[in-house]
Amino acid sequence: MASSHSNVHSEAAKMEQIITEFHTKSLHIILESRSPYVSSRNFSGEQILSSPSSSSSSSSSVRPRDKWFNLALRECPAALENLDLWRQSNLEPMVIDVILVQRPVNWDTVNFSPKRELVRNLSSKERYPFCWGFDQEEIGCEGKSEKIVERWVVQYESRKVRDCSSGSRRSSNNTLSNVYKKSILLLRSLYTTVRILPAYKIFRDLNSSGQICTFSLAHRVSSFVEPFTRKEEAEFQRFGFTPVDTSCGRLCISVLYRSSLSDVNSEPSTPISPQVIPDYVGSPLADPLKRLPSLPISHGSPSSLPFSRRHSWSYDLYKASPPSVSFSPSPTYSEPHVSISNPRSRCYPPMSLPPHPPETSLVHKKDTSFDEYSPSPNFTPSASPSPPIYIPGGHLSKGLLRSESAPFSTPAAKLLSSKQNLFPSSPIKIARSGTSKIEKSMGPIQNGTTIEKLLSLGKDDSRRYSGVKLSANSSPQISFSRSSSRSFQDDFDDDFPCPFDVEDIVPNSRPESFDQKGLLSDPHDPGGFFPIRKSQDAAVGALVCMLKKAPPLRQDLSSTTNMSEVSRPESWSNNILEPSRISEVPSGQNAPSLSVLSSGLLASKTTADALEELRSYKEMKNLLLSQGARSHTSANYPSLAEPSSRGLNE
Amino acid sequence: MNCEVCHLKELDVEHFEIREVLRCILHTIVFHRALGLVRPKDIDLELFEITYVQCGDVEVEKKIDEKIEQFISWVEKHPNKKSQICLSFYEVKNKQQSWFTNKIERLYWEQWYVNLNVIQLPKTHSSKSHHSKVVFDPGESTSEERSIRRAALEASLRDVLFQIIKFVNEKKDHVPPISEGVVYFPYEITIPSSSDSAFGMDMIKRMLQTGHPTMLS
Repeated sequence: MASSHSNVHSEAAKMEQIITEFHTKSLHIILESRSPYVSSRNFSGEQILSSPSSSSSSSSSVRPRDKWFNLALRECPAALENLDLWRQSNLEPMVIDVILVQRPVNWDTVNFSPKRELVRNLSSKERYPFCWGFDQEEIGCEGKSEKIVERWVVQYESRKVRDCSSGSRRSSNNTLSNVYKKSILLLRSLYTTVRILPAYKIFRDLNSSGQICTFSLAHRVSSFVEPFTRKEEAEFQRFGFTPVDTSCGRLCISVLYRSSLSDVNSEPSTPISPQVIPDYVGSPLADPLKRLPSLPISHGSPSSLPFSRRHSWSYDLYKASPPSVSFSPSPTYSEPHVSISNPRSRCYPPMSLPPHPPETSLVHKKDTSFDEYSPSPNFTPSASPSPPIYIPGGHLSKGLLRSESAPFSTPAAKLLSSKQNLFPSSPIKIARSGTSKIEKSMGPIQNGTTIEKLLSLGKDDSRRYSGVKLSANSSPQISFSRSSSRSFQDDFDDDFPCPFDVEDIVPNSRPESFDQKGLLSDPHDPGGFFPIRKSQDAAVGALVCMLKKAPPLRQDLSSTTNMSEVSRPESWSNNILEPSRISEVPSGQNAPSLSVLSSGLLASKTTADALEELRSYKEMKNLLLSQGARSHTSANYPSLAEPSSRGLNE
Repeated sequence: MNCEVCHLKELDVEHFEIREVLRCILHTIVFHRALGLVRPKDIDLELFEITYVQCGDVEVEKKIDEKIEQFISWVEKHPNKKSQICLSFYEVKNKQQSWFTNKIERLYWEQWYVNLNVIQLPKTHSSKSHHSKVVFDPGESTSEERSIRRAALEASLRDVLFQIIKFVNEKKDHVPPISEGVVYFPYEITIPSSSDSAFGMDMIKRMLQTGHPTMLS
């Protein structure tokens, strides 16, 4: 190293070493922020524990590798693996392709193979990167399932040997320490840049949320550039870092990147239709053969996924789909989904549910276990099959949250309904098992009144608002980012060895996201607690009557605002930024809190929109109330229904 | 020693965005000037879809936050004004005693100007006093405009980060050698002080010290 001048090595040897380490570090920096995090977990906890982390608290351990370029990075096994495979000589370029893999919704769960095996698969592929027709086959046949989003080229361009002067002719610019300093600078800016490029967002989504995503990132390291077609190349932007001159050449880094990855973000929301989901769920989860053929249907893509292909996919899986491949029970990862569905699952206490067939009970187990965060070991076996249940939900929810919450004015009704619809699969499924009346009766609400809305929110909206970022929209991200701003290493440092530590984050972040989304849980709960019997038709009929008789909106508003005087001034001005305030409305009064919610959100809407929204609210609430009331004795009916109608009609 | 100067693109920020935007920019710059052993710390902005890097030094964080607070209170006293924050890196040189009375002199070798235009949206202005108006005349456009503005700011902030990266890449020769055990180069953050003239004086003083012609711009 330049800082410790010893005469053991000649300058040339040192320079050589700097060049070598420069490549290593570059690879490390890039993969550290592109290779989904779970891969580090494959390695022994010891290693991870000693890994450098962002937090200064853990700065005690400094490994030799960290000292290079004065940049301590967190452990990134992917980088180390690849390095061994790639490293031939300093003269070869290092080409790192970052590949976005979009896979069928529940596809990844097919793979139960242990990690060891996956690793082996991976490395053989890495070793012969061009033997497996990765590009041709996958990209060609599978349509959009894989595409390169970034191509990094790290290269040492050497001049002719005789130009390399050894001493007298060398300018002061190229002294060892100067080269070293400049490469430090270059790597600093590389470090920053990888986090600004669009692909980082994908990486972050994959890691921080713990969601099961329909996409993932893979990478491929090789020593020569596989050229893009001109058309492909047109989709890329190039950023070239200023090369660092050395005595005999120069160190270069450049990147081609796709400036827009919007299709990744919006796509997941659309392909799943609610009709398909029961199909998934209903089929034996353990039988991959049965599920695979249905994929093309679900995606509307003509290509089918041959089962024999699993191996070629497993590579990506390993890299990219933390949830399914890791040994830890999937609840860890599906947490956030569960948390999103929180209100729902809270509404339906598990004990009220009769015993279920195995696959059904899985759903409930998950629904209920999130509160305790006790990932029971005996849960593990079922972990692999379970994701299909959740993926559709996650799929939907992801898209929904993104596309739908974009505008500030996101109608609360829509949000609310999206909440309900996050897991269309579970109610349907339960209904199938014929055990839960509650959910059975909930189903139609979702399907009938809201799914239409949800679907209409698909691509158009998301495209319209893509790039537009709003605080309403960002609430989930805020909560995630808060936890992630501790940086991953922090989490790992705290207590890595337990795979469930991830969950430590989730509980923290959940309350926030709930406060912000918030209203959804609180106002919904009361309604949810009413046991609901059946006969939605009647309920809907009653509802329609009610709506027809409903007084004009303005009246509603004035009355509701009167009711919530305390919280009103703030909620008017802040409702957008701090929806949580609204949810502070006394929760004892179910009806008022509901109406305050709607009025609060109305503030940012036109009156017409607001009216519509309010109606849908009423509809929902009344349905819940009336159903709830019916389930009680008929004597209860008036007392339950009256306050609510008073709240809305006065 | 020459002093390189980088004027960053002006950003239109709302009051509540100042803190995040400044943190993002200042930390990114300092990270590129913290050439000692660092453990980078990734920070996800809350308002924007942007992740920036801190050098992980508590002192740096404290100093930057402090300065930002000072700046914010300055902004509150001087609304609707464009403002500039200067982050300068210097080396400490021991001067001959005969030259100046103070022995230690700062040799500035780099200055970054962060340009902010703090804007005030009409809505935040009136919401408290006329909330009834807001209720019935919220106008979808307001929130939409707001979000468009936010997106624009995010893009601009990204541009600024790229501007920093490009500058760091292009100008490497003026960066002093790294001394062992020093994590980051000494720096100072100058915000407009309560009296503008003092700020100006400060600038002139620094110009005299560094003698850089572009300072006048």
